[in-house]
Order: sequence, then C-alpha cells, then structure tokens
Amino acid sequence: MKEILLQTKSLSKSFSTGGVMQHVLKNIDLTLYRGDFTVIMGASGAGKSTLLYALSGMDTPTLGEVWFGERDIAGLGGDALAVFRREHCGFVFQQIHLIDTMNVMDNVLAAGLLVNGDKKRMVRRAGELFAAVDIPKETQKKFPTQLSGGEAQRVGIVRALINSPEILFADEPTGALNSKTGLDVLDVLSRFHEAGQSVVMVTHDMRSARRGNRILYLKDGVVTGECDLGRYVHGDAARHEKLSAFLTEMGW
Amino acid sequence: MRKIMLIAGSNLRRAKGQVASIVVLILAASAMMNLWLMLQTDYQQNFRRYHEKLNAGHVTLAVSSREEALREDIAEILENDERTVEYEMMDALSMVGSFAYNGGEINTEFVILEKESAQNKSMERIEISGYGDAAAGDAGTLAGEEPDGIYIPMIYGGAGGFAQGDTMELTIGSTARYYTVLGVLNSVMMGSHNCSMSVFLLTKEAYEKLEQDGLAPASTLVSVRIRDGAESEEFEALLADAVSSRYPGVRILSNSYTTVSQSRYISQMICAGILSAMACIVTLIALVVISSGVMNDIQENMKMLGALKAIGYQSRQIIAALLLQYSGLTLPASVLGVALSYALFPMINRMMTAQTGIPYEVHFLPLPCMLSLVLPTGTVALAVWFAARRIRKIEPVTALRQGVQTHSFKRSRVPLDQTRLPLVPALALKAAASGIRQNITVCITMLALSLVITFTGLMLENVIMDMDPFLHMIVGETADSCIDVNVDREDEFLRQIEEDDRVEKAWLYHSEEVRHAGGIALIATMSDDFSDVNNQDVCVFGRFPKYENEVAVGIKYAREQHLSVGDTITLAAEGKEAEYLICGMTQISNNLGKDCLLTREGYERIGTFTHTSYYLNLREGTDIDAFHEEMQERFGISLNAAINILAVIEGSSAVYVSLMTMIVTAVLVLGTAVVVFVLWLLVRTMLNYKKREYGILKALGFTTRQLMVQTALSFLPAVTISTVVGIVVSAVVINPLTALFLNGIGIVKCTFAVPVGFITAAGAGLILFAFVTACLMALRIRKIAPVTLIGGE
Repeated sequence: MKEILLQTKSLSKSFSTGGVMQHVLKNIDLTLYRGDFTVIMGASGAGKSTLLYALSGMDTPTLGEVWFGERDIAGLGGDALAVFRREHCGFVFQQIHLIDTMNVMDNVLAAGLLVNGDKKRMVRRAGELFAAVDIPKETQKKFPTQLSGGEAQRVGIVRALINSPEILFADEPTGALNSKTGLDVLDVLSRFHEAGQSVVMVTHDMRSARRGNRILYLKDGVVTGECDLGRYVHGDAARHEKLSAFLTEMGW
Repeated sequence: MRKIMLIAGSNLRRAKGQVASIVVLILAASAMMNLWLMLQTDYQQNFRRYHEKLNAGHVTLAVSSREEALREDIAEILENDERTVEYEMMDALSMVGSFAYNGGEINTEFVILEKESAQNKSMERIEISGYGDAAAGDAGTLAGEEPDGIYIPMIYGGAGGFAQGDTMELTIGSTARYYTVLGVLNSVMMGSHNCSMSVFLLTKEAYEKLEQDGLAPASTLVSVRIRDGAESEEFEALLADAVSSRYPGVRILSNSYTTVSQSRYISQMICAGILSAMACIVTLIALVVISSGVMNDIQENMKMLGALKAIGYQSRQIIAALLLQYSGLTLPASVLGVALSYALFPMINRMMTAQTGIPYEVHFLPLPCMLSLVLPTGTVALAVWFAARRIRKIEPVTALRQGVQTHSFKRSRVPLDQTRLPLVPALALKAAASGIRQNITVCITMLALSLVITFTGLMLENVIMDMDPFLHMIVGETADSCIDVNVDREDEFLRQIEEDDRVEKAWLYHSEEVRHAGGIALIATMSDDFSDVNNQDVCVFGRFPKYENEVAVGIKYAREQHLSVGDTITLAAEGKEAEYLICGMTQISNNLGKDCLLTREGYERIGTFTHTSYYLNLREGTDIDAFHEEMQERFGISLNAAINILAVIEGSSAVYVSLMTMIVTAVLVLGTAVVVFVLWLLVRTMLNYKKREYGILKALGFTTRQLMVQTALSFLPAVTISTVVGIVVSAVVINPLTALFLNGIGIVKCTFAVPVGFITAAGAGLILFAFVTACLMALRIRKIAPVTLIGGE
C-alpha cells in the first residue's frame, strides 16, 4: 500500500485575462504517493505548470484543497507557503534560476541554511550532493554565468535537494539543455528517485517522461488519463511502447 | 534630435518613481537656492534703495548740544570737506533709554524728534505709516493725533508687538514716560537698535513737554551725505573726532552707512547662510541620486543599449538622450522650485522685515531666478555626463549578450560556508559588499545628514535650550544689572553697593567709541580688572589687557587689518592719540567685531570718563527692577541708566531663539525627507535590479519578512559607518564651520559645547530610522510572486 504524499480535492485555478476568465485547472482530484516519480504530461497550455505550482505551494488555487499530510496548504498565506516550500519541497526549473551574484556553493547554501543553521552539516551535505551530480570542488567556487547549461542544472538539482525535501518538483528540467546534457540531468534525477526521492516532473518530452513510474496526462485543465509504467529500467523497450500507446490514446 | 527625444521619452515613462524623486529634490534645492540668492543680493540692495528713497545720510551724529557755535563748527568742517554732498542739522533730544520688547527689554540710544519738523526734513526723511500698510512703506492717514502720541520704528511695531493705540512705556535715562503709539516709522539710519540709535517721533505737545522736563539733553541731529558711501566709516570718525576734540563735554552718538547697512541685516545673513548650506546639501544629494540613477539606467537597460548601438545609434546620441532626459526633468523642477520660493518668500519676508525693520516689497528678481535655474540644471548635466561616459566604452555585442557585469566574479564576498553570520545578515552583507554605487549614495547622504544632526544638536544645546553659550559668544559680558552713573557720583555709588548685601559683585564694564588710526570706529570696553568679568571666554587668543599700554582687539577686525598679538596700534579719542600693544584677541559681535578692550588707565590716556557703567551680579532672588528704582531714587539724574540685562538679553535673543528653532525644525524635516527619499530611491532601484533574485529566493522558501530585513540590512553597513564617521567628523568640525558661518557678525572662533550624548543618540536614531524606512520601502517585496517570475520565463 503506497503512502499518500499529496492530495488535491476539486482543485481549480482560473486567471482573468482582459476581463475574460480562463479556467486553467478544473476540479482536479489527484493523489500523489511517496516514492513515486510522477510525470505530468500534456500539450502546451494544458495547465501542467499551473498544476505543478498549485501542488508545490508556489501558487494558490482559486478553489479546492491541496492536502499535505493533515494540512491543507491551499488556504495558507504567502509567508506560510514559503515556509512550507522550504521545509518540504525542492524545485528544479527549466531556466535553472541560479542567483548570478552568488557562487555555486552559496547558491546551494542559501537554500540549505534557510532550513538548517548547522553550517558544517550543510556544507558536508552539499559536498555529498555535488559529488553525486559530479560537480568538482573548483566548480563550486564558480559563478552561474561561468557554468555550462548542464553544470548549472546539476547545481540546480543540488540546491533543490539540499534540504532533503519530501517532494522534488521539476518543471521541464531539460527544456533549456541540449540532448546530451539533458540526458545527464535525467540520469541524476533517476538516481535520486532510485534512492527514494519522490519526484513530480512536468514535461512534454517523451524521453524525459520515460523516467517516471507514473504518468498523468492533462488536457484542458483536467487529468484525462493515467499510466503506470513501473520501475524505470534503462533501454526497456516494452516500457517505451506502453508509454507511446498511452500517449497515443490521450491524443498526444 | 528626434531619435534622442524618443529615447529620453521612453526612459522617462519607464521610471516614474525616479522622476518624481529627482523632481522633488531639485525643486527643494532650487527653491532654497533662489531664497538664499534673493536674501543675499536684493535684500541688502533694498537698504540702498531705501537709503536713496529717503535721501538718508551716510553719517549720522547726535550731539548732546544745540550751541550755535558747535553747529557752525560742524557746518564749517563739513563744508570744507570736498567729500560732503549735502548735510542737515536739526533739533533733537538724545538719551539712552529702554522699553519693553519681545518679552524682555531693549536698551538703546534714543533720538527723539518732533514729528512735524521731522517730516519736513529734506534729508534723512522719515517715512510714517499706519500699521496696516507698514510693509508697503506708504504713508497712511493716521488715527486722531493724541497729545502724548509717539511714532516708533517699524521693528518695534512688528517684532516688538506694539500696536496702534497701545501705551508704550519709555524709560528715558532713568525716568519712565508713557506715550500712545500712533504709528510706525521707517528710518534707514536710525530705525533699529542695531543702528546704535533708535529714532522716535513725538507729537509737538509731547515733544515740548519732554524738552521742558529736561530728561534728555537738547541735542543736534546731524545727517551728512558724502560722495562715496564706502568712505562713511572714515568720515564718521573724522567728524566725531573733530567735534569731540573741540567740545570734549558733549556726548556724541554716531553711525555710518557701512556699519548700519551690515548691522541691520544680521538675521538675514544668518538665514541666507543656512539656506545656502541647505541648498548645497540638497543639490549634492540630488547629484548623487542622479548619478546613481544614470548608472542604474545603463545597467538595467544594457540590452536596449546594445540594441540601439547595433542599429546605428552613436554613443554621443545615447548620452545626449540621457542629458536631455535629466535636463528635461531638472529645468521644469527648477522652475517649480523658483515658483515655490516666490510662494514662500512673503512669509520669510515678514520674518526678515520684522528683524531688519526696513519694508521690502517682494518682486521678481531675474538674476537669482536665472542662477537658480542654471546652476541645478548645469550641475545635473555635468553629473549625468560624468556618469554616462562609460556608454562610449560599451561594445554593442557585449551589451546585447550579457551587459557589463557590475559584480566582480573574482571572488565571492562573504562566502556562506565560511562566514559566522546567520543567513539573512550574511546575505545582506553580501549584497552590501557588491553594491558599491549604492553604498556611495548612502554614505554621501548620511555624511551630510550627520552634519545636519550635529548642527541641530549644537543649536539645541547652545541656543534653544540654554542660551548662555550663545550669549557669551554673541553678547560678550552678561550680568544681572548695568548701572551707569556720572563720574562725580562714582565713588559714592561704589561705596553704597559695597555695603549693599544684594550685590554679590560689581565691576567696571564701560564702553566708549575710540578710533583706530585709519579712522575706523571701535567700541572700546574698559574694566579695572578683566579677571573680574563673568565671561572669561571673550578673549579667544592671548590675554585680557592688564596694563595701560595694552589692548585686546576684536579678532575679526584684527584679521581684516592683518594685526596680530604683539603688534602696536594707535587709538584715538577726543582728539588724543596713544599707542597700545595688542595683548589678545576678543570676540564680541555687538559691533560686528569692531571691538577692543582697554584697562581704565589705558582709556584715560586718550579719553575722559564723564560717566561709567558698572555690571552687577545680584544675589539670587533680588528684584532687579526694584533695585534699580531704589538706585534711581538715591542717585537721581546722576544715574544715567539702570538696565536689567537679563531682560534686555531676553528681548533681543528671543529673535535668535525663534529663528534658530525654525531653522532647526526645517532642517530636521528636510533631513527626514531626504533619508526617506534617498532610501526609497535606492530600495526601489535595488528591487528592480534584483527582482529575479528575490523571486528565486521566495521560491526557495524565503519569506517576505526575511527579504525585507535582508534588504534593509544591506544598507546598514554603509548607513552605520557613514553616520558614525559623519558624527565624529562633524563633532570636530562643527565649531569651526559655525564660526565660518557667523563670520559676518564678528565670530571667528566658536567654542560651543558639542552635545555628545545628543548627537550619539540622534546618530543611533538616524541609523534606526534609516533601517525602519528601508524596511518599509522594501514592503514592495510582498508584490514579488515567485510564480510570476518562473511562469514569465
């Protein structure tokens, strides 16, 4: 029996554009489980990123509930959501979003020390993560503009994982990378998932989606389908075909 | 040109907040600059205009005699001097006297004239006006003439609080007389106690009665116009010397155009000085803010700059656009500032007129206006040009790719893995260490404001709350009472006060006019032993005179004449001359610094005492006025004056206290506004510049409060260091600066106590205020939503 990590009830999100209401998410009832690598797929404008932000407390829903354990985070204010994010979530962005004025180590520690003031422990944890994503010591002193795209995104992953979050949210993490560095980043995510990290990733890239064990398909603000791919195994053709069939069925 | 206008217009539309802040700073600077220039230039010119309008003399003498021979002699002297253009002599009554003023008392030399005769004068005309039109200076129709009617100088009507119909008590010599105030008058050379003599007009009946009573000696008022007003001091000396040498028994009061034109404008000089200082400080802050704004504009718009260069714009066109942009703000802001100054000027004029006693009509002044427009615009253009020069070095490709990074990537400042600071202060320090331009702006602002705080503390401590230090510096000697007796009763007077247990201390402190060899009048103050005087700080260099051949000279005068301790000068009085060795320098502003101190024996080498003034310290609780009345009864007409010095000081110092209170209030309000303004601008710039960074930090879990505190803390190192340095440096330089400021009234060395406790507390308050203000300004961080940042990409 899987442990529920996050659950939404009638989750809706609407935007007013030029006086016209756009209902981006419509009454979504969704359950995310601990230890899953959940991939949210869908066409452009389907509401993938909006769902990710609503789930992660980055944005508040217009209606509905988002339950994290015994707590509905949908009703929390800005600062309470910030505390929720820092304590329970990690984020990997498509545009990476490292802070240019801080070097690699400081980018990671700025997030880490926010939760745990034990500097030695945090530096040690950062060191382990850097080693895990293959960021050498000399790179840790560099500034973001001095890094390659792949390096920067791996630093982004370290930053996201520094506080050992319960969920790692990744929004198109390979979207701004070439295919080689994209693959490296996906490998890193897979490794951490293998180690027990819950991941929720938004992507419209099949190659990235294959890394997940659970695929959700979003269409016009509604989850229209779900596919259980099982554990990721590199080069598993049957798994690939299953995903392709699911996506074809969803109208991909 | 069209292209330049387009770029400038686009920049202005994008930075409305910055535009507003610059407009307000320049507006304040221009307003103060114009007020300063108007006070500095035309206000004193107004004296010259009135001098001409009333055909006033350049030298005025009130001689306590109406002997025909004396008048003939004076006429002969004047007619034989080719510098004389015109002169006039008329009957007058002259005597030292006092009256209630400003909650205290004014003690001055009265020159009393009969109204009808005074109005028929061809020279030294006296303008009479009712109260309603006093400021306009027009002669008005007055209420019914009272037999005991008096017309008083305008300064006593306004600042003194005497209204038409009020009863005024004049103590002439030592006897009180009561008159009904019929109106105010305007006299250029005798319209204020600052002129050495104050003229009063009495109705024919009242004048004749006073003349018959013999309270004031029948005198002759002599007014002389000479070719060149600049020679008035020398001419006055010559005339006074000539008369006193021929008629040693007569009492002569005199003044000159040069002295009066300065002494009537002391308040205006102080006010103009403070306005000039404030205008300079605000202009400096505006320039720093603008320079910082230009550099930020360049940084923020680097890509646009690259695009403009890529499509063919030249650096000079882009710089010209920035120049146009900022000049286009500064010029209209200066115009508004000048307009504001004209809106404020009537109020300042009322205050100043109450002090100068000469009506001034507010009118447009082209030169100050032009300077107030040109100076801010010119300096801003220069500052913009300096800040924008780097545009020439920016390659379009570099600008398009990354822009020029302001941050140094050579090393990480305040590395988080090494610092012992908690996270938020560490991030704040990191931001502070990389914001050099921000720090420079903060430092200059805080340094200027520290000076303002120190000045405020100095004025509060030494003028507003406790006037004694100010009085010691300005007035010189203070005591409870001053009694002037004729020399024939001096011994008896001294014997009596020796026996009077109400008198704690009495010492000779008598002033007479003497002449330096060049003819310049100096007020010489004599004492038997200067170690007895209350204010031992009068002598700022060297020592008080001890021997008959020694003199201590006013330091301002000494510096003007290149005199120093050890030099010898020749002094003259009553036709006699003697040489004196300068043993010290004094600082008293009573005669605009033209003072000297002599021993009694020293003065007697050239002059003779006909009466002597004694200063008295009375026992605590003594009724000074009752003591004076008793003395008057004892000595009758031999007692020339009994002055309640405390009351006199209160009367004349109330003006300075209210002026200083107003200035300190204005300075504090302005200082507060400047702090809020500069921090608002800097925080706003920082938020724009770091919007993305704040979004990321929020996404990572930083709360709005943490980011607000972090932002405010990032200003603290610069705020704290510059405030501490500013307060320490200001505490050291404030006295010399104040002395420089008061140089016009004879002050060259200022020894005010610097209120260390106050300025320390105020400095801490300033730092706290800056922090709280920065926090409040950083409230805009609330509006930064991480999702917008991420979704916007």
